[in-house]
Amino acid sequence: MSASDDQADVEQVLAGNVDAFENIVRRWQSPLINLAYRFCRDRGRAEDLAQEAFLRAYRALGQWRKDAAFSTWLFALATNLYRSELRRLPAGIVSIDDVSEPRDSRMEGGVLEVEDRDRTIRRAVFTLPTKYREALDLFYFHEMDVPAAAQSLGLPEGTVKARLFRGRELLRGKLKENV
Amino acid sequence: MKDDELDRILSQEQDLVPSSGFVRNVMDAVRREASSPAPIPFPWTRALPGLVLCVLALAAMCVAAFLGSGTQRLPETPGPSIWSAIWTGLSSDLAGLLRAANVGGLGWIVLALLLTFASVTLSLRLIGRRT
Repeated sequence: MSASDDQADVEQVLAGNVDAFENIVRRWQSPLINLAYRFCRDRGRAEDLAQEAFLRAYRALGQWRKDAAFSTWLFALATNLYRSELRRLPAGIVSIDDVSEPRDSRMEGGVLEVEDRDRTIRRAVFTLPTKYREALDLFYFHEMDVPAAAQSLGLPEGTVKARLFRGRELLRGKLKENV
Repeated sequence: MKDDELDRILSQEQDLVPSSGFVRNVMDAVRREASSPAPIPFPWTRALPGLVLCVLALAAMCVAAFLGSGTQRLPETPGPSIWSAIWTGLSSDLAGLLRAANVGGLGWIVLALLLTFASVTLSLRLIGRRT
């Protein structure tokens, strides 16, 4: 994925070549769907949200100022959409009991037990209050890059760091009780 | 559980592979969007004089109400109410009816009717120019 490819495609779309937008969709479909999945944990809904994000990106393409990378602009737009859509239509309140999977005695001490625990921890993030969950989701989506997460969320880096700290604390508290 | 371990676990999210028809669906939606006519922008330049007039009228009304409330009125005997005046007017002749209307503020009624007529005519003309 190169920034010049994005810029060239955006310029073509703005010049009237709608088909050039397909290159942008092919390049960014996977990250946008995976980002949406972190927010809603529902594959079908993640694709719907990503489709809506691409449509909004197409409408707002002229507003991309080239001082920031196209990906930064696209992720900020998508994050904004996902957050507002999930506030409007929440994915459902989930308790830690719902996300914990049944333990199998045959797994004790084995690799499967570790995988089970890891999966439970990942799903437990979904039970956190929205603002901490969003910070954690974006932080790990951006491969632990705080500035990138802050840009996507449109928040100062300090706020994101504070939310990450508090989110991790809450997560540990939940895991102590349940795992 | 330490931060490092938590980071390791939460970083290992399994990647979803987009479904095969995803790009086609998005591009269909984009082409539909591209072929639909652009939304008509709100005609601010045309609406601005009207909005300014409304604001000025509102300000004038506020000033008039403020000045009106400041003046002391002497208690006076109640005059003929609008209903009694209308009744009188209806029972006598047209002049009586006009007098009755004047009690209720004929000038204001005429002004309101004229303004309504002007706004309807203006909007009809604007629509006529567009079509």
